[in-house]
Amino acid sequence: MDRGMILFIGVLLTFTSSWLGLVLFPFWQLQNQPAFQTSPEEEPYPRPLQGLAWTGMKVYQKNGCMYCHSQQIRSERFGNWWEDPTGIMRTGGDIRRGWGTRRNVPRDYIYDSPTMLGTMRTGPDLANIGSRYSATWQHIHTYNPRALNSWSIMPSFAFMYRKERIVGSRSEKALPLGREWTVRPGYRWRPSPNEWAAILQQSGDQIKARFLRESGQPISDWTTPETQQQLLEFWLATPEEDWQILPTEEAEALVAYLLSLRKAEYPLPEAKE
Amino acid sequence: MAVTILARDHLRLQAAQERVTIDRSCRGPVLAFSATALFWLLVGSLLALLASLKLHSPYFLTGSAIWTFGRVRMAHLQAVALGWSSLAAMAACLWLMCRLARVELIYPRMLYLACALWNVATTLAVAGILLGDGTSVEWLDAPTYAHPFFVAGVGLVTAWVVATFRRRREAHVYVTQWYILAAVFWFPWLYTVATLMIFWIPATGVIQPVVNWWFNHNFLGLWLTPIGVGTAYYIIPKILGRPIHSYYLSITGFWALALFYSWAGIHHLIGGPIPAWLATASTVGSMMMFIPVIAVAINHHMTMIGHFHRLKYSPALRFTVFGAIAYTAVSFQGSIESLKDFSEVAHFTHYTVGHAHLGAYGFVAMIFFGLYYYMIPRLTGREWYSSKLIRLHFWCSAVGITLYFTALSIGGWWQGRMLNNPNVPFANIIMYIQPYLALRSVAGTMMTIGHIAFAILFIINLAGWGRQRSGGPTLFAQPPQLTPSELPKADSLMNAPVTQLQP
Repeated sequence: MDRGMILFIGVLLTFTSSWLGLVLFPFWQLQNQPAFQTSPEEEPYPRPLQGLAWTGMKVYQKNGCMYCHSQQIRSERFGNWWEDPTGIMRTGGDIRRGWGTRRNVPRDYIYDSPTMLGTMRTGPDLANIGSRYSATWQHIHTYNPRALNSWSIMPSFAFMYRKERIVGSRSEKALPLGREWTVRPGYRWRPSPNEWAAILQQSGDQIKARFLRESGQPISDWTTPETQQQLLEFWLATPEEDWQILPTEEAEALVAYLLSLRKAEYPLPEAKE
Repeated sequence: MAVTILARDHLRLQAAQERVTIDRSCRGPVLAFSATALFWLLVGSLLALLASLKLHSPYFLTGSAIWTFGRVRMAHLQAVALGWSSLAAMAACLWLMCRLARVELIYPRMLYLACALWNVATTLAVAGILLGDGTSVEWLDAPTYAHPFFVAGVGLVTAWVVATFRRRREAHVYVTQWYILAAVFWFPWLYTVATLMIFWIPATGVIQPVVNWWFNHNFLGLWLTPIGVGTAYYIIPKILGRPIHSYYLSITGFWALALFYSWAGIHHLIGGPIPAWLATASTVGSMMMFIPVIAVAINHHMTMIGHFHRLKYSPALRFTVFGAIAYTAVSFQGSIESLKDFSEVAHFTHYTVGHAHLGAYGFVAMIFFGLYYYMIPRLTGREWYSSKLIRLHFWCSAVGITLYFTALSIGGWWQGRMLNNPNVPFANIIMYIQPYLALRSVAGTMMTIGHIAFAILFIINLAGWGRQRSGGPTLFAQPPQLTPSELPKADSLMNAPVTQLQP
């Protein structure tokens, strides 16, 4: 094999084979798939992302969310690895987990660019996340996932939220979170024993009164460790008086995108099983 | 007989003299590629460590957009795949091409430009991603403005390789050269087609991930693998001073790799919203990969048979042989991993991450480390400063990647089993996987320490603080004097191509 030309032709042909087979052929097969419509009056599915949701897709993209979250529901016939209580081996974990109502097909993605199918499930699948949680849940979870799931290893995206001094009344958009999560955005805060002592000195009576009013629990002795712990926990769960956490435009956009993800809901004829 | 020996000595002396001249001509450009590659290895290691720590300690360095997990992960991949691996691969191409074609390096300024373009591209990629321009297209995360620099950089290298090949003074074209010529042709095409179809003229919907996985798998298979395997094909016979096991097997291995590897990538989309025949075709390609892998394995390992004691002495050989063994292992694993039943568990888990690192690090990086230990002293004329640091580098890397692979393979497998079972709550999976992710950080720390030792050795060598090469190579231990019966037979040396002889 000392001839450059033979080498070149061979290398060209072998590589072209996979290019034709794996790239060009599926390209011809799939490039012109239309949106689905049963009648002309009906709104077609899927629809392209627009406005805030499109901006949110960009936020999702640039922060690499898809490195932990896939966006694809696999068939009920996929996999054969779990045993139900009757001892039968079952398939199709994705739908059973409630991640979607049907499997995804190429048509679900005709308006996606980039198409972020994902290759990893460090976190759960998001193909249909828009139908699972509310905007408020998404905001709290994005701000600090551990405020909702203590076991979560998802990063905090507190940098997409701003902490502002309340002028007048609290904004409607402020996240409903206790001071435990808002004093140090992104972290879980606890006062040091000295700080806590100072706080009790300054406004202990007010906190105690509020605790009695809201818990309805009569407490006679405030000095036991249990009651002190209860009081601290109560106080940490109440919002900061002067500060609020507001979503930036980025956070609003991201949540709009997450809410728009409903890829495994609308029935498509080709996605029966 | 006496005449034969004299003629042999004369030939050897001449060949060694020629190699010294060639190495001297390679010095500047090849060192530029090697040094910048090493810089990106360090950057990539630190980014990797940061990403790894964040996966089990989410409060570590939280609160900043730049250092958030997703961005750091993308930047890590660009730094090690396009920065370190690709620059080191190009350094290998340049030096091996000159030596095997027996020509002095031509057009050095063109190569400096190529090196600069590639480094600009990698800088744009890594900084761009951290600052928020990442594209979330795995392996192609670099912002679109980095693409032209990458293509221009590798384009110049390809043109240079072809020009050098055409000037070759050695009629015999060695197997390493086939791999290099093929790789420098495949990669620019691969990169251009993939970026065009995903970014510049985006294809519709799921065609993008299909093109993406065709690219990803071929980045390793048709760019890093051929150059890595080709480097081992050069280093192992060179250090042992004996020809490769079988010339015909190397031809089979080469063409089977060319034909089958390029078909293997789409099994990464198993179960996904793509036509089922695509994943099946890729599984067939992956299974056929047993042919080239076994051919290369026989050639590499049979050449080593009977000479494993040499691993005690030669650092370059030790790294290279580790890489060659890892290549066999990771390829067998990859073929089996593509099978449907296996893939259904391993897909979407850290198992795949472990597999990718066994390939990109255990195989590719280790072989390039071996190449550096062999090549750099011949370029700078200086030996390595300390065999202790080389030893530290080897053991940190070897134990590090072994621990990395073991932890993620075990953790990832059970992660996959639990993911497929809807009765296991998601929280349990997260809590189960954490100790394995922590072990991965330990492994990553070891590998980073190894890289720092490597960088110190490299800087000392460049700065000229090492011994002159005439004092003999830096070895782990001094080999005992060979007895006459162990010396290579004069006949076998005469029949071997001159280029395979030890200087």
